[in-house]
Amino acid sequence: MKELLQIGLWLGGGSLVALCIASFWIPKVLGWREKVAVLTPLMRELWWTYSIYIWSSHVFFAVLALGFGDWLLSRTGAAAAMSTFMLLWWSVRLWLQFFGYDLSEVEGSKANRLAKHLLTLLFVSLVVLFGSLVAWNAGWIPTGAMP
Amino acid sequence: MSTETLVIALRIAGLMMVGLVAANFVAAKRWRYRASLADCEVMVRQVFYVHCAYIIAIIGGLGVLCLGWPQLLLADGMGRVLSGFFGVFWASRVIVQLGYYDKETRRQNRGWDLFFLGVFAAMSAIFTLTAIYG
Repeated sequence: MKELLQIGLWLGGGSLVALCIASFWIPKVLGWREKVAVLTPLMRELWWTYSIYIWSSHVFFAVLALGFGDWLLSRTGAAAAMSTFMLLWWSVRLWLQFFGYDLSEVEGSKANRLAKHLLTLLFVSLVVLFGSLVAWNAGWIPTGAMP
Repeated sequence: MSTETLVIALRIAGLMMVGLVAANFVAAKRWRYRASLADCEVMVRQVFYVHCAYIIAIIGGLGVLCLGWPQLLLADGMGRVLSGFFGVFWASRVIVQLGYYDKETRRQNRGWDLFFLGVFAAMSAIFTLTAIYG
């Protein structure tokens, strides 16, 4: 089971790297620069600052998954806490994907529809991955070792 | 630097972050987020609120960790990595405030500007020291 979770972390970390790279195109595709131009300077600055911090958090999650997999699977309290935090993070994002965001203003092109489905798939996968990590770190999943 | 000193410093940082979470709600009212976002597109409004909520979740989660379980940040190498990340996180917040935020708005609110700069700098120092000496 641990090996399976290790593979999951590699795949999850790789997907997060892809998400972080793809995020550079999101402002252009969705026309963020023009759309936030109507805001006051302070709100515009907050808007971009928040976006960059969220992106940085995704980078950090990718670094954790790819570089510190052994620690995330260490069954320590800290690993359980971090796994729980990331599970909550992606669970909320998945909920927003279905029930939070109003995407009616986004152009319904084939590329945008594909991107939406890929993102949904990514969020579902990350919820499953970090949910499994929480279960692993809590000791709910046996190690699979012979007694 | 001793472990006891770092634990106390992390608990102080935890208190600061609880204060920052509260300050976010005060800021929303003071800067009239709702009214400012009323005329923009739905997506811009939603992304702003979602990102704001996630930032509050990060700060709140870290604040709870620092107040309740500061030893987790001192327990192993990963705690130091996490502390290093937040050292950079808060240092970058100082840079954002000094180099990016509207100077006129900052000048009109100089007291709060300096107060928050001090808070961000202190937290950057605490997490950086934890990463180095933890």
